[in-house]
Amino acid sequence: MSRSRLAVLVSTVVVVLGVLAGLGALWLNPARAAVGPMPGAALILPADARFVMGVDVKRFTASPFYARYASERGMEPEALRELEEKTGLNPARDVEQIVIAGTAGAGPVGLALVTGKFDLYKLGRTLETEGKVRGYNHAGATLYAFKEEGPRALAVAFLDDTSLLFGQKGRVEAAVTSRTRGETPLKNNAALVSLVEKVRPGSTFWMVGDQSLLAGLPASVPAPGASADGASVNLPALKSLTVTGDLDPQVSLAVTGEAADELAAKNLADVVRGFVALVSLQAQQKPELRQLASAVSVATEQNRVLVSARIPYEMIDALRAKAKPAGPEAAK
Amino acid sequence: MRDPSRPLPFATGARAVFELSLDGMVWTRRTLLMGLLVGIPALVAVAYRSVVATQPEARLPPPADLYAVIVAIYWIRNVLPLAALFFATALVADEVEGRTLTYLTTRPLTRPSVFAGKFAAYVATTLTLALPAAVLTFFILLSTRGWSAVGPAVGDLFRDAGVIALTLLAYGALFALLGVLLKRPVIPGLLFLYGWELMANLPGYLPRLTLTAWLRSLVHHRPAEEGLAGLFQQVLPAGPGLAVLIGASAAFLAAAAWIFSTREYVLEQ
Repeated sequence: MSRSRLAVLVSTVVVVLGVLAGLGALWLNPARAAVGPMPGAALILPADARFVMGVDVKRFTASPFYARYASERGMEPEALRELEEKTGLNPARDVEQIVIAGTAGAGPVGLALVTGKFDLYKLGRTLETEGKVRGYNHAGATLYAFKEEGPRALAVAFLDDTSLLFGQKGRVEAAVTSRTRGETPLKNNAALVSLVEKVRPGSTFWMVGDQSLLAGLPASVPAPGASADGASVNLPALKSLTVTGDLDPQVSLAVTGEAADELAAKNLADVVRGFVALVSLQAQQKPELRQLASAVSVATEQNRVLVSARIPYEMIDALRAKAKPAGPEAAK
Repeated sequence: MRDPSRPLPFATGARAVFELSLDGMVWTRRTLLMGLLVGIPALVAVAYRSVVATQPEARLPPPADLYAVIVAIYWIRNVLPLAALFFATALVADEVEGRTLTYLTTRPLTRPSVFAGKFAAYVATTLTLALPAAVLTFFILLSTRGWSAVGPAVGDLFRDAGVIALTLLAYGALFALLGVLLKRPVIPGLLFLYGWELMANLPGYLPRLTLTAWLRSLVHHRPAEEGLAGLFQQVLPAGPGLAVLIGASAAFLAAAAWIFSTREYVLEQ
């Protein structure tokens, strides 16, 4: 074999091994799921969801973000705190992933599927001993209803050792019934599911929302640099919104908004660029903003606007340090 | 028995020229230089891992971001088009300069088969350099924080490998055309790469007239850029992008093969 053939052969072997290793990593990837990053179990969430969001709790608690800010007040997500308060569950220790489907209506509007490793006996005993809940069986699963009545009544369902369902009692019961029947209501929301499919597995947090969620957003915002004359910029309506983010080794955020058409996407991108340009101008006087302006990039792809931001923790610290002294001064 | 007065069939001729050209293309100083240039990211990735291992407090960009810059800016925007320029313009020009073209054209081979064999050898040589570099860089960088980060990004590796091959094909076809059309194609090729292709950073429809805008839109990496590129960055649709790149490559190759077939090359004595 000539040297040329040998070089081509070695190169081919490297590429083939790489492809095999890649396929192996893909196959063994713990984030591999039924729909994008969402575990298959989450398909029992309701079909009328306006948004679905997920948090990879293991990645979140292992991130520098958690190490830096977890102890600070207000940094723990409301849903997690409520869950811990109600069940004694320590999310950082026990939980792997949380998927929340947000719905419209009175009372609590979210239904959360929590996956991890749970000691159901211990958890059930804790709940019952505190006397805050009433346990019962529903469609083959153990449910604990918190002793409140009306639309705000909450319940937690123990689906199995690895998944819990938490939210409005009626919705939890409906989801458990769907699970027992082998139904997947969320799949009926094709628009939302197609958005979830496009989210890359492995993100620390993600969120997708359809038109019904975005209908409530303001139609205009104050123009960059607008003074008291109240000049504003009209925002093109968004058909869908996808947010994904990572927290290690810096805060990375990717936001994709789908506008009605290419022109609307360009207009929206221009609005975002206007705000970034404004921050750039502010950076002349506030050095801590200098990096922030260059950390954000805006692009358009047909009728979609892609905004990505990469913010180092040093910058967040600098911005927070700048913001803190302003409080007492303002109070005076 | 084959009629010796008739040229070999296209595929047989192209294969013979491919094998001959591959031997002369892989082990050359040009390939060594280009191999080094294309392979630098793999060395950078090793250095990155060493720094991470020895100085955990060092402020380094995240491995995924570094890989994104390497793919979108270093390879697809700069080095692979340069490799295509230096290899593809030389496909015929080297034979003319070395006065060895006669040895090929006097064989029982059709000129399109000679061109096809040489272009196939160019594609094989450049892929031999680029794909292992991409695979190694990907795995070395993305496994920095453990293998959990590799799985979700594997789709990007496959996509990047495809775009790398398409980059070499599209630019290779264009520069092969320049190579058969012009006596000194390198300077116009450089002007194309660092003049015309800068239109990719402009607003409006002008980026659609460049190859780089279509190619960069095919990869998922969008590293933050400053200046015009950062301000007007557009992501062109993938479907039409593939069609444009494949169509343009086919058109460039057909034109190059036609010119090579019909042109009379006068070798300087």
